[in-house]
Amino acid sequence: MPLLKVDDVTAGYGDMEILRNVRMEVAEAEVVALIGPNGAGKSTLMKTVFGLLHPKSGTITYKDRPIHGHEPHDIVGLGLCYVPQVDNVFTTLTVEENLDMGGYLLPDSQLPERREWVYEFFPRLRERRRQRAGKMSGGERQMVAMGSALMLEPQLLLLDEPSAGLSPKLVDEIFDNIQNINRAGVAVLMVEQNAQKSLEMAHRGYVLANGENRFDGTGRELLADPDVARLYLGG
Amino acid sequence: MAVPGTDHEQPAAEAQRLGERLREMTRTRTFLIATLIVILALMYLFGALSGAGSRLMSLTAWGLMLGGVIALGSIGLTLVYGVMKFPNFSHGALVTLGAYVTYTVLPLLPDGPTLSPLSFGYEFLVAMVVAMPVVGAVAIALDRAVYRRLRRTGSHLVLFAMASLAMAFFLRSLIYLIWGPDFHFYYPGQPNPAFRLPLNIRVQGDQVFILVMAFVFVAGVSALLEWTKMGKAMRATADNPDLAGVRGINTERVIAWTWGLGGALAACGGVMYGLSSQLRPEMGFWLLLPMFAATIMGGIGNPYGALIAALIIGISHQVSTSFLDPTYGPAVAFVLMVITLLIRPQGLLGRDGG
Repeated sequence: MPLLKVDDVTAGYGDMEILRNVRMEVAEAEVVALIGPNGAGKSTLMKTVFGLLHPKSGTITYKDRPIHGHEPHDIVGLGLCYVPQVDNVFTTLTVEENLDMGGYLLPDSQLPERREWVYEFFPRLRERRRQRAGKMSGGERQMVAMGSALMLEPQLLLLDEPSAGLSPKLVDEIFDNIQNINRAGVAVLMVEQNAQKSLEMAHRGYVLANGENRFDGTGRELLADPDVARLYLGG
Repeated sequence: MAVPGTDHEQPAAEAQRLGERLREMTRTRTFLIATLIVILALMYLFGALSGAGSRLMSLTAWGLMLGGVIALGSIGLTLVYGVMKFPNFSHGALVTLGAYVTYTVLPLLPDGPTLSPLSFGYEFLVAMVVAMPVVGAVAIALDRAVYRRLRRTGSHLVLFAMASLAMAFFLRSLIYLIWGPDFHFYYPGQPNPAFRLPLNIRVQGDQVFILVMAFVFVAGVSALLEWTKMGKAMRATADNPDLAGVRGINTERVIAWTWGLGGALAACGGVMYGLSSQLRPEMGFWLLLPMFAATIMGGIGNPYGALIAALIIGISHQVSTSFLDPTYGPAVAFVLMVITLLIRPQGLLGRDGG
C-alpha cells in the first residue's frame, strides 16, 4: 500500500491549469525526487498535496484516506509535514518557539522530548535555540524549517527545494540531513533543482514537464536514461 | 587617497556622508525618545508660562488616566492589526459598547458599599467582568459575519478597513437605537472624591485604579503572547499565516481569540473611560485617533509599546489644554504620531528593519 497516492490530479490557480492528470506515489520510508524544468508544476504539486491548493479533479490519498479538499491544518495531523521553499520559518520567533509551533498539535508535555529528537538531527539548533530565526543564515533557517516539520514525527516529509540558494558545502550538509531523516524511517518527497544529486539519493523519481508526467522510474534508471539526462540533467 | 583632479569633489562627498550620518542619527530610537521628551518638556513649559503651574500636576494625573484608557483600547487594536494586517476602525465602537453594557448591567446588581477611595462598589467590578466577554463575543460575531467572508474570498486589505468603518457606524447606530442619544452616568449625582497629595496634587482613587488596570492588562497580554501556546500561535500567525496553517495552527481559531481578547480589552477601556466622564454614543469614536496613534507610536504588535505611547499621548493631551483650546486636544495625538512616523516608522519599541 502506498503511503501517498496522487491519482489523475488536475489543479491550478483560477482558470489556469498548472497540473494536468498527474499521478504519483510514495511508499513507506522511501525517498522520492520530483524533478523537471522551471514552471513544470513541481511546487504546485506539493502545495496541492498539502491542501494549500485544492485540485479541480482527481484524488489524493494518504494511507488510503482522501485528503484532497482538506485544509493544511487538518492534513498536518495525519502524519505528513511540509517544508515550503520560501518563508518557511517564523522570523520573529526564536528557534525553540519555531519548533514548538511545529509541534502545535502535541500536548505541551511532549514538546521537550520532541525537541531533543530534532536537536539530534540538527545539533546546531540546540546551540541557537534562543535566537530569533530571522537572524540566522539560509542554511540554519532550512534546518529550523525541517526541524519544525519533524516535530510531529511525520511518516512523510514534503520538502520543496531544500537546497535552493545554499552554498555547495551547505547543500551537501542538507542532503546528509535528509538522508539521516530518511534512515530514521521517514519517507521523503522532495522537489529539487539539483536533479543529479537528488536522483542519486532517491529510491525513485518523477520527471514533470508542462504540468504532466514525463518520465518515472528508480533514481538509477532516470540517471541512466539518455532522454532525461539530455533534457533535465544538463548532460 | 588624493587623486589629482578630484579635490573639488571631496568636500561634496564628505558633506554627503555627513548628511547620511545625520539622517542615520535622526532615525534612531534614542532620537525619537529625546524628541518626545523635548516636546513634553516644552508643553509643561508653555503650561507654566500661561499661568497654569498649579494645575499641571493634576492635569498630569488626568493624562495618566486617559493614557490608561487609551492603552487598554490600543492593545486590541495592535493585536488585530498584527494578526490580520488591517486597521480596525470599529474598535472605538467596541469601547463604547463596553461602557453601555456595564451601564445596563449595573442596576441589575445589588448595590454594595462604595470601595473608598474609589467612587464605586463591588457591583461595578462585577458589571465590568460581565461586559468584557460580552463585547469580546460581539467582536467575534462581527468577524464571523463580515471579516471571515472577506478572508475566504481573499479580499484586499482596503476592503477590510472599509468594512470595519461600516461596522463602526453600524455599531454606533445600534447603540443610539438601544440606549438613545442622551448622556448617561454609572452613578448619577455621585461625587468623585479626590485625595490630596503633597505639592497640592489632587488625585482621584479612580484615576489610580484605571492606571493600575492598564498596567495589569498590558503585563497580562504580554505574558500571554510570550509564554502561552495561544500567544505564541498569535505571534506565529501574525508573522506568517500560511506557514501557521502548514504547522497545524488553526488560524481561524487564533483569529477568533484575537478578536475576543481585543474586544474584551476595548470593553475594559470603555468601562474605565465611562468612569472619568459621562457615557455618550460617540465616546469611543473620539478615542479612535489617540488609540491608533498609540498603536503606531508604540510599534505595532507590541503591548508595552502601546502602553508607553498611550501614557505619553494621554499626558500631552491633557497638559496641552493648559495653553491650548481643549478642542485641539485630538490634534496633539496626531502630531505625536506623525513625528514618530517621520523619525522611526516602526515606533518606540518596534524592531529594527520591520
